[in-house]
Amino acid sequence: MALGAGWLAFPRVLYRSRPQPVNFSHKIHADKAGAKCEDCHSFRDDGSFAGMPTLDKCSSCHAAPMGTTATEKSFIDDYVTPNREPQWAAYARQPENVSFSHAAHVKRARMACKTCHGNTGASDSLRPYQIDRISGYSRDIWKIPGRPHGMKMADCVSCHRQKGLEHSCLDCHK
Amino acid sequence: MKTNRREILMFAGGSAVGVLFTPAPWRLITDTALWSENWPGIPAPARGEIRARFTNCSLCPAGCAVRARCVGDQPVQLSGVTGHPLSHGALCPFGIVGHHLPHLPARVKEGPLKEAAAALADGIAKCGPAESVAVLDLRPSRTASWTYRRAMAALKNGRYVTPSGDTSVAVDLSKARTVLSFGVPVLDGWGTPGNVNAARTGFHLIQVDPVESRTASMADRWLRVRPGSEDALAQALAGRITHAAAADTTGLTVPEIAALAKELEQNGPVLVLGSSRLASGSGIVIARRETPVPEEWKKAAPAENLASLPDRSVRVLMIDESASAEYLSWNAIEKKLVGDNPVVVVFACSREGYARHANYVLPVGVYPEVADDIPPAIDSVAAMFRISAPLVSPPAGMVKPEEFVAAAAALGIGDTLRERADTIHKTGRGKLFTYADAKSQALKDVSADNFWKALNAGGCWIDELDSKPSPARLTTVAPEVRPAEESELPLAVVLTHELTPGSPLLSKLYRESNLRLAPGRVALNPSCGLDDGAPAVLETLLGKCRVGVTLDAAIPPGVVQASASPALLDLCAAGVRAKVVRV
Amino acid sequence: MTSANKSIRAARYGMTIDVDRCNGCGACMMACAVENNVPPAHEGATDRKGLTWIRVFKVDNGEEYPDRRTAFVPVMCQHCGNETPCVHVCPQQAVDVDPATGVVGEMPQRCLGCRYCMAACPYHARYFNWWDPAWPAGMEKTLNPGVTPRMRGVVEKCNLCHGRWHAAKEAAAAAGKPDTEPVDYTPACAEVCPTAAIHFGDLNDATSVVAMEAGKAESFRLLERLNTQPKIYYRSKRDWVREIAAAPQPGARKEKARG
Repeated sequence: MALGAGWLAFPRVLYRSRPQPVNFSHKIHADKAGAKCEDCHSFRDDGSFAGMPTLDKCSSCHAAPMGTTATEKSFIDDYVTPNREPQWAAYARQPENVSFSHAAHVKRARMACKTCHGNTGASDSLRPYQIDRISGYSRDIWKIPGRPHGMKMADCVSCHRQKGLEHSCLDCHK
Repeated sequence: MKTNRREILMFAGGSAVGVLFTPAPWRLITDTALWSENWPGIPAPARGEIRARFTNCSLCPAGCAVRARCVGDQPVQLSGVTGHPLSHGALCPFGIVGHHLPHLPARVKEGPLKEAAAALADGIAKCGPAESVAVLDLRPSRTASWTYRRAMAALKNGRYVTPSGDTSVAVDLSKARTVLSFGVPVLDGWGTPGNVNAARTGFHLIQVDPVESRTASMADRWLRVRPGSEDALAQALAGRITHAAAADTTGLTVPEIAALAKELEQNGPVLVLGSSRLASGSGIVIARRETPVPEEWKKAAPAENLASLPDRSVRVLMIDESASAEYLSWNAIEKKLVGDNPVVVVFACSREGYARHANYVLPVGVYPEVADDIPPAIDSVAAMFRISAPLVSPPAGMVKPEEFVAAAAALGIGDTLRERADTIHKTGRGKLFTYADAKSQALKDVSADNFWKALNAGGCWIDELDSKPSPARLTTVAPEVRPAEESELPLAVVLTHELTPGSPLLSKLYRESNLRLAPGRVALNPSCGLDDGAPAVLETLLGKCRVGVTLDAAIPPGVVQASASPALLDLCAAGVRAKVVRV
Repeated sequence: MTSANKSIRAARYGMTIDVDRCNGCGACMMACAVENNVPPAHEGATDRKGLTWIRVFKVDNGEEYPDRRTAFVPVMCQHCGNETPCVHVCPQQAVDVDPATGVVGEMPQRCLGCRYCMAACPYHARYFNWWDPAWPAGMEKTLNPGVTPRMRGVVEKCNLCHGRWHAAKEAAAAAGKPDTEPVDYTPACAEVCPTAAIHFGDLNDATSVVAMEAGKAESFRLLERLNTQPKIYYRSKRDWVREIAAAPQPGARKEKARG
């Protein structure tokens, strides 16, 4: 019974789930618009990562409907027209005390986006954002099959250790 | 099935062991640890694109150039602009936290606008033949100051009043070989700190100070005189009294005074600060050319000193306390007001100053919310024009003093800063220095529009130097010496000045260390018998006010060093006597 | 921590502070507090319970006027290089010495607040959060995103503006520079000092200002006899300042250090 409770019921209770504001399809944008990851998720001039694109990026193409889906129409009605920023939930958002540099991983280490973010680029919809009720952290940051869920430091450290890049705590903490 | 205690215990035990094989307890432990790190109520800084924006600091006449590191448009960090010809990239501790001022907890957020306007109109109408309507401008020579002058000229009995002191006089530090300062904080906030630091190795500094001020500790020589006796030393150096008489009053020795006189003679040219008895060496103190103004503005009321107004003659007084400036003791102002129901309107962001005495307090924007220009500092030989361009928006309901006063006088005004910039541009003189690229270019190579844009995005205009500047004299504001100097009050007051209002973060300097003395605190020698940190009352012949006490063995017995706050300044000026007692 | 690490050119970031130039204005203290999201004093705070990652002390030579001389000495974490006391005593390994930069980095996230490190630090350069940080309403908009605010119950100290180091590293990565080279950045106190009394650089780089100044005769370090090998060098032409920095046993001199 305890085993059942621990393995089955506990995860359901522990996480709170909410859907993303718009059911965005990466696949459509990759196929039809020919967009690559960095077209919307870009670096700024000082090397910092811009993260989630802001509304002006979407409005630059979607000022008027480009397709026929209901999702797009409600996006234009709810966000583009009233000029309201969608409140995206970033699955991989790091805690406040972590300093993660995309430039170091993408530009220096030349890692592919999928290595950490899985096949998000090929997904047709956005999975719900699950948040751990106690710690407040996102559950599913990797979306890589076989990669453990959650955001433990050990996950980052194991890769760093393999590459011989473990110098000091403050390399990644701020 | 009948459950008995044994079965329950076995079930519980089995579950406890079983649950250890599930992720639940381990997860609970780590999640609780994570929860304890991310304490609710600890704010998370906003993220966003980091941008640099530029402006000029309007907290003091230096008007240092400021580079603001912003997240989006919100400044999060201020520093100086390297390469600036006057401020040389320096920014003082008050300027560094200037971006906190919009969030001061005790800020004046609203005021009786309509009632004040009505009272003003009423007072102006009731003004008798010998009475006047006055604007007291605590930071004269700004563009807004010209609007006040024009407004007062438009009124029948309008007068434009400033604290005494001539803002058109400039000091050329580079020409001084010796600087003799009578209590002036040359190395601690005088002039433009960046400029003073850059010129420091070029002059020998002799500081005359009753206590070891920051400037005295850094000076080449410190002469400790008894408080209030600085003038005696100046008289001796001017040859009006003997060295022996001066030694008697000041507490210095005759050889010290003789050596000083010899040094001044041999190591000129000398710049004298803080005493108008001694003239500075030739070419050091000059009349600065005025920053150009539109010709139509010159039909304006002249600037009058507060002291020169007849007593009991001002029926309506508007005080512009919006730009940070030195606080004039209320007594000096009060005696100029008529006896029966004068109307006093003050534009202020803090209730600590004239708001305590005014009928109406109207809220204003603070640095860096409002556009205002900063007249050239005393150590700027060239005329300048620089705008403190706003970095954030002021809250709703703030009053613009310039517009309010103009409306009260029924004077129509446009964008006065733009008009002035255009007038300067027409002269084609001087250079424009832009902060983003730290480059200087001749004004005539810039279009009027680009000039205006540059001034608002971080830049300043520096005039050509006068080839033959006319000499001028530095007038010193004589401290209001109270009568009956032989009072029983045991302590002589020495004042220090901090820039107010200031960010709450200044607690690092005031409370979390003993580096500076907070406004409203006094420092006394431990022999005074009071406890460090104790609340106390300072009493002078004019009244009492509460102060905090800091014990400092460097303060001589018989002296109280008071860090000026408006309440303290209402009670005393340098040279007055006081006593400090436990509450 | 250093298992088979890639070889990097290790830096030893340090400072040289000219005590003769410091005028005690406190600009460094303010810039540090702004950069590192240090909150304003709580109501109960005094100079013993405050958070001043860098603190300027006023020292004098103990004489009376006219022989009295005063100096101002800014003190922050000295980033001890040898047998770093705080690293030794921490039960949580919440502080470590970075072999790549020499910076002694404090991790408030790991700290459990025992304050053993505060007792161990001979320079009194570590500060405890006695209270939760509180900023006046609206002022939290001015917080620096490069540094995380701390909660109560943890120790914090100067880490040579590591937030700026991260930003400089990121800019270097974006610009394609190799990660084996130390990054070029300036901590807030050095950047803002109006008299240019504080200089920062890599002590391992013989051409840097700090390395050259550190080697000069007027340079000294605080409490050198403890052999903590701090990386903050001070310089002064005045002997009495050097003697105070060496802090001989009480009673040996008349000097009084207050601050």
